[in-house]
Amino acid sequence: MTVTLQKKICMLGGFSVGKTSLVKRFVASVFSETYLTTVGVKIDKKTVQLSDRIVNLILWDLAGEDDISSLRMSYLRGAAGCVLVADGTRPSTLEVALSLCRRVEADFGPLPFVLLLNKNDLREDWAIRDDEIEGLRRDGWWVRSTSARTGEGVEDAFGALAERISR
Amino acid sequence: MEGLPATVAERLQALIFSERAVAYLQVDSGLTLVDAGGHLEAYGLADLRSGEPVTEQAFFLEGLLPPVETTDFVPSVELASGRAADLHFISQDDTYWVVLLDVSAERDAARPMQQKAYDMTLAQEREALLNRRLEAANAALLATQRELEASHDALARAHDQVQAQAAELAAWNKTLEERVAAQLAELERMGRLKRFFAPTLAELIVSSGNERILESHRRDIAVLFCDLRGFTAFAESAEPEEVMTLLHEYHAALVPLIQAFEGTLDRFVGDGLMVYFNDPLPCPNPAERAVTLAVAMRDAVAALAQKWRRHDYQLGFGIGIAQGFATLGQIGFEGRFDYSAIGTVINTAARLCEAAKDGQILVTSRVAAAVGEAVDVREIEPLTLKGLRRPLAASNVEALKVVQ
Repeated sequence: MTVTLQKKICMLGGFSVGKTSLVKRFVASVFSETYLTTVGVKIDKKTVQLSDRIVNLILWDLAGEDDISSLRMSYLRGAAGCVLVADGTRPSTLEVALSLCRRVEADFGPLPFVLLLNKNDLREDWAIRDDEIEGLRRDGWWVRSTSARTGEGVEDAFGALAERISR
Repeated sequence: MEGLPATVAERLQALIFSERAVAYLQVDSGLTLVDAGGHLEAYGLADLRSGEPVTEQAFFLEGLLPPVETTDFVPSVELASGRAADLHFISQDDTYWVVLLDVSAERDAARPMQQKAYDMTLAQEREALLNRRLEAANAALLATQRELEASHDALARAHDQVQAQAAELAAWNKTLEERVAAQLAELERMGRLKRFFAPTLAELIVSSGNERILESHRRDIAVLFCDLRGFTAFAESAEPEEVMTLLHEYHAALVPLIQAFEGTLDRFVGDGLMVYFNDPLPCPNPAERAVTLAVAMRDAVAALAQKWRRHDYQLGFGIGIAQGFATLGQIGFEGRFDYSAIGTVINTAARLCEAAKDGQILVTSRVAAAVGEAVDVREIEPLTLKGLRRPLAASNVEALKVVQ
């Protein structure tokens, strides 16, 4: 009999980095050019078939916050892992994502994280150097460049996190 | 609703219940749904089944139960139905209560403000980015401008260099023109001098740069006159073209000889030629040089005369040579100068030439004495010549002696 798990995952990152778009791409395979800011938190569900089990991912798409002190920690309660999202065309959002991660770990202890550098389709505006990405990998980060617009890297990223949190 | 009249409290409860779409879930400690009620349909929870795990039916509760506090609160949670709810948790003994209060209106009111704030921040970030790009483009433009200025300076330097080279070339050109002008003047002088002197002699005078030699002076010279016998009669009877052809042959035979012997050719007068030696450049034995030339001329004309006789031209050739002092130098006026000799010796040579018969070379006794052993001369009867008061002792040159 196939085991079915259910895990809560939080999407974290600065505003307008594409968290909601990544969830929409992952859950419904759609992308909208219109930017609609998230208020509070929005919850979605996606079932992922792994090799030996099925995982229901409960995706908590948190409102983007550049000010980490405004982060509502009650949203993080019970999370099995986090997807940190930064905008590859705005280097400051990488700093925000890393700060949010530190803030969450300070309250909840170590959690599985994946770090997504989104908007990979805007290569001409890309502002994060390859050597910076390599540096993050050396520091132990699971990092991927993704594009919610084209879908590049999205399935892989959520799949990788699902594997890690369901072991 | 403590402190409120019962009627107000009841009305308020009714309002909250309907306006806030109040719904609740009762969950036991095993996280099984015990009961649920209120506006469940507003949150997409109309099909809840009591006695089954609550998180499988209301998945937004995953991770939130059991609550960490007796009363707890998670604000503004947008559920799959699209409604936003505040989630309130209450723990009572072994029972957990979850109360949902609709906050969709607050969410919808907050969204435009938050969106505007984010849009402004994004616009500021884009502006800052554009400014950085503009600054980078400006810096690149400045660098290009500096490169252009450097190129301009290099061009200006190259221009100056070209100008300097052009000036240098102009100076060289001027020098060259001056040299050409000098050489042309020299050629012109040479041309003038060649009319009087053998080419080698003319070049000598030009290269020495000493034209004072052309100034009037006296010198002891040997003068040779020669002309053709019977030429006047021939010229009267022959066609002008025949005359000119014959004269050309005659001059072509004699002039090279004069030049070879470095004689000074004074003038042509028809068939008559006047040549002298020892001026303007000195020669060691002018009389001997003149006689040797005369013999060579006689031989040359004798060869020509044989040809002429085949055309029935009866022409002879006579020569007269005298030696003595004469006055020499340029005569004439601007535009027409000649170098010439004047004196009795000229007349004497001319008269001896007149007196000479075909093949004769008549010389004065001084000339005969001067050539001495080198030439066979035979004295002839003294000649009575026009313009001379006394008969003139004269000799005919027979031949040059062969030197043993």
